[in-house]
Amino acid sequence: MTASDTGTTRLASPGERLLGSLRRLRLSDGLSLATLAVLVLVAIAAPVVAPHSATAPSGIPLTPPSGSAWLGTDEVGRDILSRLIFGLRLSLVGAVLVIASGVIIGSIMGLVAGAVGGWVDMLLMRLTDVFLALPAPVLAIAVVAALGPSFTNTLLAVSIVWWPWYARIVRGEVTAIGARPHVDAAKLAGVGRLRLWSRHLLPGAGPSVLVVASLDVGYLVLILAGLSFLGLGAPAPAPELGAMAAQGLRFLLSKWWVPVFPGIAVAALAYTANLAGDALRDLMGDR
Amino acid sequence: MAVLILRRLLAMVVVLLVLTAVIFLLRQVTPANPARVALGPQASIGAVEEYSRELGLDQPLVVQYFTYLNDIAHGDFQVSVRTRRAVSEDLAAFVPATLELALYGIMFAALGGLVLGVVSAARWRGSGVVRNVMLVGASVPSFLLAFGLILVMSRNLGWLPGTGRSSLPDMPSGPTQLLTVDAILHGRLDAFWNALRHLILPSATIGLASAVAIGRVLRSSLHASLDSDYVRTARAKGLAERLVLRRHALRNASGPAMTMAGLQLGLMFAGVVIVEQIFAWPGIGWYTAQSIPTNDFAAIAAVTLILGSLYVIVNTAVDIAQMLADPRIRR
Repeated sequence: MTASDTGTTRLASPGERLLGSLRRLRLSDGLSLATLAVLVLVAIAAPVVAPHSATAPSGIPLTPPSGSAWLGTDEVGRDILSRLIFGLRLSLVGAVLVIASGVIIGSIMGLVAGAVGGWVDMLLMRLTDVFLALPAPVLAIAVVAALGPSFTNTLLAVSIVWWPWYARIVRGEVTAIGARPHVDAAKLAGVGRLRLWSRHLLPGAGPSVLVVASLDVGYLVLILAGLSFLGLGAPAPAPELGAMAAQGLRFLLSKWWVPVFPGIAVAALAYTANLAGDALRDLMGDR
Repeated sequence: MAVLILRRLLAMVVVLLVLTAVIFLLRQVTPANPARVALGPQASIGAVEEYSRELGLDQPLVVQYFTYLNDIAHGDFQVSVRTRRAVSEDLAAFVPATLELALYGIMFAALGGLVLGVVSAARWRGSGVVRNVMLVGASVPSFLLAFGLILVMSRNLGWLPGTGRSSLPDMPSGPTQLLTVDAILHGRLDAFWNALRHLILPSATIGLASAVAIGRVLRSSLHASLDSDYVRTARAKGLAERLVLRRHALRNASGPAMTMAGLQLGLMFAGVVIVEQIFAWPGIGWYTAQSIPTNDFAAIAAVTLILGSLYVIVNTAVDIAQMLADPRIRR
């Protein structure tokens, strides 16, 4: 935390602060953030970037990597590179949506627990503890299996098990901030409860949540890929990276490129996201 | 002390009850009617209704929940749609393979984590490289690792088998159903060797991510303890660095790594679902992977319950072991 919280010095504007942090950025951190940015751009521009359709055949089935199909074609003759680019998009969208819902649910739980205190706090935090004590990936399998496999249900299932950490973090920050003078000042100034919560308590938890969320992206990419590998994702023709690897499994020994490239795509995305998460953590100051 | 342990156990029971409640609610959500599932699609509507009443499906939810608790307490997990057998029978057939795999996996993870943690915490030139390798290890999906190991070690080099638990027709079966243990009990070294070779690739696959996670935790706690006063004292009295590390730093730094190992053992039970499918390992992970496409929710619910409970119980055990081992936690 900087001088901005005590309110005695002039506050640096958000732009100035960002500029200051960027100046402190190390080259390797900058590179990893830039790589992630490129991957995100490729995902957004997938229809433009991809050389072929992700769902329609574009060549002879099971062609090895070559000049016309850089990563080869799969058992239907679809261009693997194009499928990977669209798969990247699904993976990123999935991870971001799960994190967003985790942050929203967790923030509400954490904010209410931290701000109200007393038995509400007790109850909500015990509930959080119980959910933290359960294995999220195992539960996610059961939830998707119960709801029926689809992309939306997978995201829903993982979101249901993903909020507890955020609730803990937000609650911790909110409790700490609640004891600070500016909150008392706001209370004395007659600020209403909702405004107090949303304008004075919640923003203080922002940086910590952002750091945890960015470190979660890589982990979620892996979990979502794992669930889709098990057939718990979008149905067949959808270019999901995990599902592509699973469908290619039977070609592993003869046509290795069919299952291996989707796996490499998942690893590359998770690795970049992890590096960028580390970089962001350094940027925000160690938390 | 006893009060603390009791409280921890009580918390465990609460978590287990919530787990059963969650699975119970999920069963209510599934579109499949258990009576229809049990009788098959040819049964008349009347017969299905009759059987529903028999199963108690017309009772209030709370009553049904207690019936469910009573059933699972007696080991009744309903009937699998796919195998047409009681899920409990299926589980009994598939659990030992998973247990053996997880056991070797956690041994691999603990050893690997120890090596990675020490090597990356020590001050030498290669430690930066090891840290990067660990970051890569944390980003590789288990299926890609499995593909790589099978292609290189099994297909190209032919060193290790890539499918199944054994390739001997006369594998000795014994009381534990763990092939390596049973082979030793029968004094069959060839069988032991065969089973062990089959275990290496899958257990390395499920163990690697955990090894990295344990290694990372161990590195940071090792850093803290290497900077501490007692390590400075040990060094000052002229103790060899190796002994300082082993007797003083490592022992004090092992607590968080133990907690992580417990968590990882639990996560491993989730990882087996993917890894067993790739290595055609006949465990409950493979069983689950087969049950998913056929919408066999009775089977999936039972596996979730078993894996989830194991996770909760293992973590409680680790917590209690730590309370006993480390006087600082007792408070």
